[in-house]
Amino acid sequence: MRHLYRALTVLGSYRAQRVMGIATLAGLAATVVIGLFVVPPDATQGDVQRLMYMHVPVAWVTFLAFGVVFIASVGYLKTGRMQWDRVAAASAEIGVLCCALTIVLGSLWGRPVWGTWWTWDPRLTTTAVLLLIYVGYLSLRKVADSPARRAKWAAVVGVVGFIDVPIVHESVVWWRSLHQQATVLRLGAPTIAGSMLATLLLAFVTFSLAYGYLMAVRLRVGRLEDRSAVPVSSLSAPRARRPRRADVPASVPAPASVPADIPTSVASDSHA
Amino acid sequence: MHDVGYVAAGYSVTLATLAAYRWHLAVRARRARRYVTAATGRARNGRRRP
Repeated sequence: MRHLYRALTVLGSYRAQRVMGIATLAGLAATVVIGLFVVPPDATQGDVQRLMYMHVPVAWVTFLAFGVVFIASVGYLKTGRMQWDRVAAASAEIGVLCCALTIVLGSLWGRPVWGTWWTWDPRLTTTAVLLLIYVGYLSLRKVADSPARRAKWAAVVGVVGFIDVPIVHESVVWWRSLHQQATVLRLGAPTIAGSMLATLLLAFVTFSLAYGYLMAVRLRVGRLEDRSAVPVSSLSAPRARRPRRADVPASVPAPASVPADIPTSVASDSHA
Repeated sequence: MHDVGYVAAGYSVTLATLAAYRWHLAVRARRARRYVTAATGRARNGRRRP
């Protein structure tokens, strides 16, 4: 747990962000050029199979993001530290974005190959349920009235909601499905041509980098938003110049300390 | 030839989504930074605003 958080802290440094951003841009450019113009088209599906180099890595990032939500939620429930909640929130946001993108890309691929934009297939249905679970997770974060309660409720949903991820992955094995089964991660040799596999691996690395980059930026935004959400009095209290006794007129009572109902823990967490 | 349209749409949607999210994060960061600066009276470098 501690090592994961330390890794995220290192990734959050400005220099690491810059490097990841540049690497992501270069990787995306290479994936697009190789995926569209270099790799040969599929013998059966033709050019439309090129959507695989976007659809599959985006689906992988969806699983990765929700996996991080799960780990961070367990981390929060175990330690009660707000940093874990911030990591879970950031990852859930990126996961929801990628899950929606996976469905859109799958739909674009399904129309020419299956003849339909959408069908109530086990893989598609469980993926739609996954999207709804994490949209619910993000909505729940909006309605909770205190940061501690929000973090606790969200962590419970983050742990329970992850149950759907293995169900999505195994749905093509457990039930009869239109969706094809695993071609890369399977027992025995992958049933995919070498050049296609290499391009797919490049896309996996690129989208994983994109996830790391977006996480780093989103975590920084989360820290800033937490600071900006805290009342002005609790933010400025440690740094503001205290009025000298001579400045205060006799009729004005002495400035009170920070009231008890102000969540100062958020301010202190944001500096950690 | 018809399939190329689906491929182009898929690649465009993916890249546009990533770019739009990055832009959205930049807007949120700018807004939050403005609130923090207004609240603390300090700019990003820790100095007091004039």
